[in-house]
Amino acid sequence: MPLEYEFDCPLPNGIHARPASALEEVVRHFTSEVTLINRRTQRSANGKSILAIIGTDVRAGDSCLITVSGSDEREAMVVLSTFLRDKFPHCDASLAPTKAEAAAPLSPCLSHAGATIHRGRSVVPGIGSGRGVRFGAFSIPPSLPREGVANTQMEWHRLNQALHKLNTAYDNRLKQARGIEAELVKVHQSIARDVDFQDSLQAAVIRRQHTAAGAIEAAEAQFSKMLAASGNEMLRERAMDVQDVCLQLLHEMYGDAAKVVGVKLTSDAVIVAESLTPGQFLSLDRKYFKGLVLASASSTSHTVILARSFNIPTLAGVPELATIRFGQHEIVVDADAGALVTDLTDTARRYYVLESRRIIGHRARLKLLSARAATTKDGQRIEIAANISTASEAAGAFDSGAEGIGLFRTEMLFLDRSTPPDETEQFDSYAAVITAAAGRPVVIRTFDVGGDKPLAYLNLPKEENPFLGRRAVRIYPEFETLFRTQIRALVRASAGGKLSVMIPMIATVEEARWVKRIVAEEQQKCEAEKNAFDPAMLVGAMIEVPAAALAVEAFSRELDFFSIGSNDLLQYFMAADRMESELMTLLNPLQPAFLRLLKLIADAARSHNKEISLCGEMGGQVRYLPLLAGMGLNKISAAAPAVAGLKAELARLNQMACQQLLTAAISCATADEVSALLEQFSTQAGVPLVETELVLLDPDATSKEEVIKQGVDRLFIMGRTESSQAVEEAIWRREATYSTGFGHGFAIPHCQTNAVRFNSLVLMKLKNPVAWNSLDGQPVRVVILLGIRAAQAGTAHMQVLARLARKIMDEEFRAELERETDPARLCAVLQKIF
Amino acid sequence: MKIVAVTACPTGIAHTYMAAAQLEKTAKKLGHTIKVETQGAMGIENELSQGDVDAADAVIFATDIAIEKEERFARARTILVPVQAALKDPEAIFAQLK
Repeated sequence: MPLEYEFDCPLPNGIHARPASALEEVVRHFTSEVTLINRRTQRSANGKSILAIIGTDVRAGDSCLITVSGSDEREAMVVLSTFLRDKFPHCDASLAPTKAEAAAPLSPCLSHAGATIHRGRSVVPGIGSGRGVRFGAFSIPPSLPREGVANTQMEWHRLNQALHKLNTAYDNRLKQARGIEAELVKVHQSIARDVDFQDSLQAAVIRRQHTAAGAIEAAEAQFSKMLAASGNEMLRERAMDVQDVCLQLLHEMYGDAAKVVGVKLTSDAVIVAESLTPGQFLSLDRKYFKGLVLASASSTSHTVILARSFNIPTLAGVPELATIRFGQHEIVVDADAGALVTDLTDTARRYYVLESRRIIGHRARLKLLSARAATTKDGQRIEIAANISTASEAAGAFDSGAEGIGLFRTEMLFLDRSTPPDETEQFDSYAAVITAAAGRPVVIRTFDVGGDKPLAYLNLPKEENPFLGRRAVRIYPEFETLFRTQIRALVRASAGGKLSVMIPMIATVEEARWVKRIVAEEQQKCEAEKNAFDPAMLVGAMIEVPAAALAVEAFSRELDFFSIGSNDLLQYFMAADRMESELMTLLNPLQPAFLRLLKLIADAARSHNKEISLCGEMGGQVRYLPLLAGMGLNKISAAAPAVAGLKAELARLNQMACQQLLTAAISCATADEVSALLEQFSTQAGVPLVETELVLLDPDATSKEEVIKQGVDRLFIMGRTESSQAVEEAIWRREATYSTGFGHGFAIPHCQTNAVRFNSLVLMKLKNPVAWNSLDGQPVRVVILLGIRAAQAGTAHMQVLARLARKIMDEEFRAELERETDPARLCAVLQKIF
Repeated sequence: MKIVAVTACPTGIAHTYMAAAQLEKTAKKLGHTIKVETQGAMGIENELSQGDVDAADAVIFATDIAIEKEERFARARTILVPVQAALKDPEAIFAQLK
């Protein structure tokens, strides 16, 4: 009688590649036969075959049965049932179920351009254009015979040898491959080694007299079909990986004779394919590879991950892709708008010229802003640093204007692997960041694992409440060797620059003392072994446990600096799980009590002359910056793309005013009151309604659509909106009630939307008048475009606008605007009425 | 004539005030006295009292949306025009009052 174990699949994405390989990993160590049966699909699988496990198409909640029989069945069942109960539910924790999103409306500038537009889902943002090139599906050259093998044993022997060679090739590639490429090789290797895959090949040759080519073709069809039929998008993606392995195996077997004539790009091209294997992707010349359109692909497919890492704009889910005709013509993949544009017209081309100007203009301005040191208007210095998760992100962060690395989360080095990284691997990673920093400060946080980030090799039991459980500093004594290895790598890396070590989840002074002792001991060892290190390396702590927040004074005697981890601190302080979307109102960082706590921490750190920074999500949002600046933080660390915006915002702020704002915010009763206060503060924070950069003389516009687009684009370039699309849409919505061309060659397009960050006025004077469907039927020469935040009643700006609206009915005022040709003087004309 | 008016447009940012300015300018030109209440993003401004309304010969509504405090005008002689009309040809509105 085989032993049985029943379970319901607890994984939201079902058993796809990752959980399947975790299961196979456990099963493989026993000689017993293990079978997985999915009761819903009635499919069963050999537990030692990842492909077969995947093929059972287990989805969330499916009722499953595992049977074990063989000499070591008892032992196997004990291990297996423990695994299924404790670890299996977490082996896929980082993947959220995918959600379908509705496509955002297109700019009328594009939708009215007369081109053909096919909507799709953006999987890698960006815009690319080139000749449309179709890429065929998986195929084996017809010249290779498929059947009729005389000596089947010999044929299988040769195919088996090719499998071994492929495996060795994977091993060799693994030695050099890093990151995504290494992951890819591992998945491919696991397919090549899969027992079901090999059995299928063998059966085709031995029993059906297939040639190796015929067997590979059959195996590909069998497994691709099985995966493609799965209800899970992530599984369907693995079909691409099976195809890649089959192509590589074919190549091992037949050499160049197996090469399907590939696509060779000779000029800028957009690849259009039902699907594309990672190997096919890599075979394309990236010099000309400008965009990718796929019929189906999820953001977790390896091809999409590759596209992302090479910045190839990619669109997926374009319906009826095969029927779209584009001949040899230029097409555009607009993954920013979620559109494939074919049958391009001159107007559509002009739209993309304007789009590229918008993007280049925005980039140029960010570059300008990111180059300067971060200070407030009145000269208060606040370092703006970047958060990173891998060493390879460091260079990009500094390019974005980061003045240091404020948080390097080292967990990524430890997650998703079967053994922890050794000292050399860690040292290399830390040293790479320090080298990229070139003397700028780097804060590296020791591994924050356990809890919601379980590691297979730590064998920690499942907890009821992982956020309140054994994680970070709390598990260091238990895994002292692991921790010492990291500290040792950090101590050695400190020789290369300005390194600080930060400890997560500190709650008590004893924990801090323990860590300090380990650091001191590893430093002594380094010294004894004559390894270089920086004896002045700082050791600090994350403040994310409320107990630590209230004990900064005591910690100041042990530690050198503090950094507020606002996400965890907020959830612990408000007793609200941050994974619980229903609790968002509690998790609002504008809760007055939370702001009070932050100020308490900052004040305490300052009074003991310790550096205090903030590295949570709150730091990345410009909206909160006035409050943080008011706290007198020394440093704010945020995601790299937020850095330039934070610097720009900081330069607008006055430290004294921010302090007063914070004082007022803390005495508010509710988060809504703080929010209103902040809104009021931001609109009065010295951001003028109009500035010379918002005056456009003779913009390159031939239609109302192009005028509005360029006005809105200017708001985007000047950092007054994050979403041109949303502002444009609001303006056109208003335009739909009746035209804002009120006659006399003037138009006043406007909208009320919080998609603009500040109330703004763009003045455009057109050399070539455009039709506006005006009240008097005349074309328009002067355009005053207004973007106004909602809920502004009674503010100073609204009074100004009311005066402006009255004033433009005055002939003399209009004449003055028409006469003036200098942006600064035009600004002055407008400001006269303010 | 003694005239009062209310202007109100969908967003309350521009046309409410443009129409008000236009009505005031035209009334002056035609020799009428006028008081214009605006209902825009600033809320109600230059509010008409019941006395203002009762003393007026006519009320002009240059409005595209429902207005607030409509009860003030229950007994008055009113004409309703779109905001655009006040911008395009305000004299035609006054002509209707004769």
